[in-house]
Amino acid sequence: MSAIRTENLVKKFRRVEAVNGLNLDVPEGAVYALVGPNGAGKTTAIKILMNIFRPTSGRAEVLGVEAARIAGRAFTSIGYVSENQELPEWMRVGALLEYLRPFYPSWDRALEDELIRQFDLPRDRKLGDLSRGMRMKAALASALAYHPKLIVLDEPFTGLDPLVRDELIQGLLERVEESTILVSSHDLAEIESFASHVGYLEEGRLRFSEELTRLVERFREVQVTFDGTPCLPEKAPENWMQMNSAAAVVRFIESRFEPERTRAEIRGVFGEVRDVTFSPMTLREIFLAMAKAGRNA
Amino acid sequence: MKQILNILRKDLRRFWREIAASLALLATYSWNDVRGWSGDQNSGVGYDIIGALFAQRFLSGLVAALLPVAWAFLIVRVVQGEALVGDRQFWVTRPYEWKKLLVAKALFVVLTINLPLLLADFLLLAKAGFPPTHYIAGLLWMQLLLSLFLILPMATLATVTASVVQTILAILGVALYGIGVGAVASVIPSSSFSGPVGSIEATLLIATCVVVIFWQYARRKTAAARWLIAALALVADLLLVATPYNAIVSREFPRLGPGEPPPVYLSPLPADPSSEAGVFGKEIMIQTPLRPSRMAENSIVIVSGVKVSLEAPDGLRWNSGWVSPGTKFFSDQTNLSPGSFMRTGITFTLKRSFFEQVKSEPVKARISLALTEYRIENRREFVIPPGEFLMPDVGICSAETTYPTDMEIHCRAPLRRPTSTLIAADLSATTCPAQAGESRDAPQNVREWLQNSDSGPADLGISPVKTFDLYLSEYRVYGARNIHTGICPGTRLVIGNPVAVRRIGTELEINSLRLADYRIPYDGTSEFGIVLR
Repeated sequence: MSAIRTENLVKKFRRVEAVNGLNLDVPEGAVYALVGPNGAGKTTAIKILMNIFRPTSGRAEVLGVEAARIAGRAFTSIGYVSENQELPEWMRVGALLEYLRPFYPSWDRALEDELIRQFDLPRDRKLGDLSRGMRMKAALASALAYHPKLIVLDEPFTGLDPLVRDELIQGLLERVEESTILVSSHDLAEIESFASHVGYLEEGRLRFSEELTRLVERFREVQVTFDGTPCLPEKAPENWMQMNSAAAVVRFIESRFEPERTRAEIRGVFGEVRDVTFSPMTLREIFLAMAKAGRNA
Repeated sequence: MKQILNILRKDLRRFWREIAASLALLATYSWNDVRGWSGDQNSGVGYDIIGALFAQRFLSGLVAALLPVAWAFLIVRVVQGEALVGDRQFWVTRPYEWKKLLVAKALFVVLTINLPLLLADFLLLAKAGFPPTHYIAGLLWMQLLLSLFLILPMATLATVTASVVQTILAILGVALYGIGVGAVASVIPSSSFSGPVGSIEATLLIATCVVVIFWQYARRKTAAARWLIAALALVADLLLVATPYNAIVSREFPRLGPGEPPPVYLSPLPADPSSEAGVFGKEIMIQTPLRPSRMAENSIVIVSGVKVSLEAPDGLRWNSGWVSPGTKFFSDQTNLSPGSFMRTGITFTLKRSFFEQVKSEPVKARISLALTEYRIENRREFVIPPGEFLMPDVGICSAETTYPTDMEIHCRAPLRRPTSTLIAADLSATTCPAQAGESRDAPQNVREWLQNSDSGPADLGISPVKTFDLYLSEYRVYGARNIHTGICPGTRLVIGNPVAVRRIGTELEINSLRLADYRIPYDGTSEFGIVLR
């Protein structure tokens, strides 16, 4: 079952295509990280899913409901928090939660109190007087206290200090079992710690989308050492990225790593080599490699 | 219902300052309104300072102007509390149901604007001597008018703008549009003729406001909603330009039937030899003198529309288009004794270039008139009592004037000004003390016709107590003295109710009109009779 599913989703702002044929599938129970460079279309895609924008064409379904129909009661199952959301800054934290309570049949007062404690939120302070990090925590608390089936977070960690990020992630991790989470972020190091799936969006298109463990498994930084100065191939395999050489060493990033197959491919391209090493990559390194490859392409 | 009350409670809590300000202004307005017509100028706590301030017309006017502004601000603030424009609002991803949100906002307006005003209106009516329970339908009608012509348009602008500043800019845009339309109307022939266009435009305005509000709450399609408002403006312009004014006048004022007498005979008079041409500007003012006569007894004729067409022998033409001068002819003015007659005229302006081409030629003038004839019914006498008194078909009045400087009768009526009441007096029979040198031998008729063309049970406005003055006085020159004569308690009045009996169209042709003989000084003082503007 998919919590979120899009088919050939397109969103144009006049001549600019912000989302260009997006096919996204977020399985139920997943913590799906939507990553990509600035202007890739992450926020636009999320706003279409939340029925803030209407798509130019294509389809989007959220929790089995067409995104364009998501309104009113449908939001009792969805918690949405965005970095650029305009909160009612004149309200105090406690008043905000008190105001929101009657909107949600599943609002959990005990959980509300727990979140307030966990995030160290002052109930009597106005949202407008809070720091950015505190406001994000208040927004998250107000989006978690009713056990939403789907939590959608748009760049929640941008500009936050590490401690606040940690608190937010901790808060999210505790909800993982009951919710599907879609999070867009640049904070790849943080995402890596809790995402189960990752999708890479570039120029409005999803370049890849898979389980994080599989992604990390298939990306390796490869170092090939030769006896003499190697001769770089005119045409390297498509799955090799950022190839460069220095003295007797050639380095590249393998995006379809399987030990035996990759070794065979190296032999096929370079012939006999002295040594080959495969180093695992962080999500940040993978993201940068993909971004650079996309830019070069 | 729970959601509606939750939103309402939040808004009441959030906007308490704005609510308090509008309530304070309403209280001040009501207090000042009572002061205006009760003559109770010295009552109230702290009169010395506050009363003295309010004696200044400026401050009274300021409060009357600020109250709708405060309401407008409150409406904009509450609507934009859950802004419908933009994509970053917190509330759009919360379980708000648009119908409930709309109802909550409407309830807020009812609770903070309509209800306090209704309460204030009840108190004002009671204080003015009119039992409020007799006027509930009218009070509700006033609320409806306020809702349609202030609340609805303001709410509409608030739904298509993101902030108060944007709304103010939108209001400025609407004002500029109004000025533009006025400028366009001034060059469109006949556009000043009051046909049915106004009511069509009002209906379109209300319908557009309702559609935009519902559309925005249901779909938040701001661009489309703004286009709809622009389309309304365009349609209003088209209506102004494309209205078949001639056809409307022909339909509403059918031509006289064979043998049917006109309500007033208008006969051309020769040019006034004493007229001076004066200094010419770019326009030339022409006046064709006329003699009105042979009106039915107890009748009044209003010139509801007039159009002047000129045709020179060489085929050069000019047409004024339909204009509504509203000139009134009373039968006792036109049916004078043999040897004397009333003189009136039709005044219009021509471009100097046209005038120069035709001024010496005998032009043919066709004067088309749309006339409304009234018959004065229910005539009865009324002697002004001292102090406050109830004048039939008028309201509660007071003739406690400071004779001879202040001659008005001050009146107040519940909900609306009188529909059609004519009050006349013969000043030669006034009970006011005669002044030195004043002669009261000849009859000296003065009259005031209170007219209200609105057919609803109440007029648009904030106060349900409508005040107006009857000017039944006149200056007369006695040798070197200019004496002001008016009415006082004990003076006999004649009250009647003019009723429209027919509307007809008629034409008057003047052949061989030499325009050079009919030009008059362009100084504004020569305007009398039927003036085309």
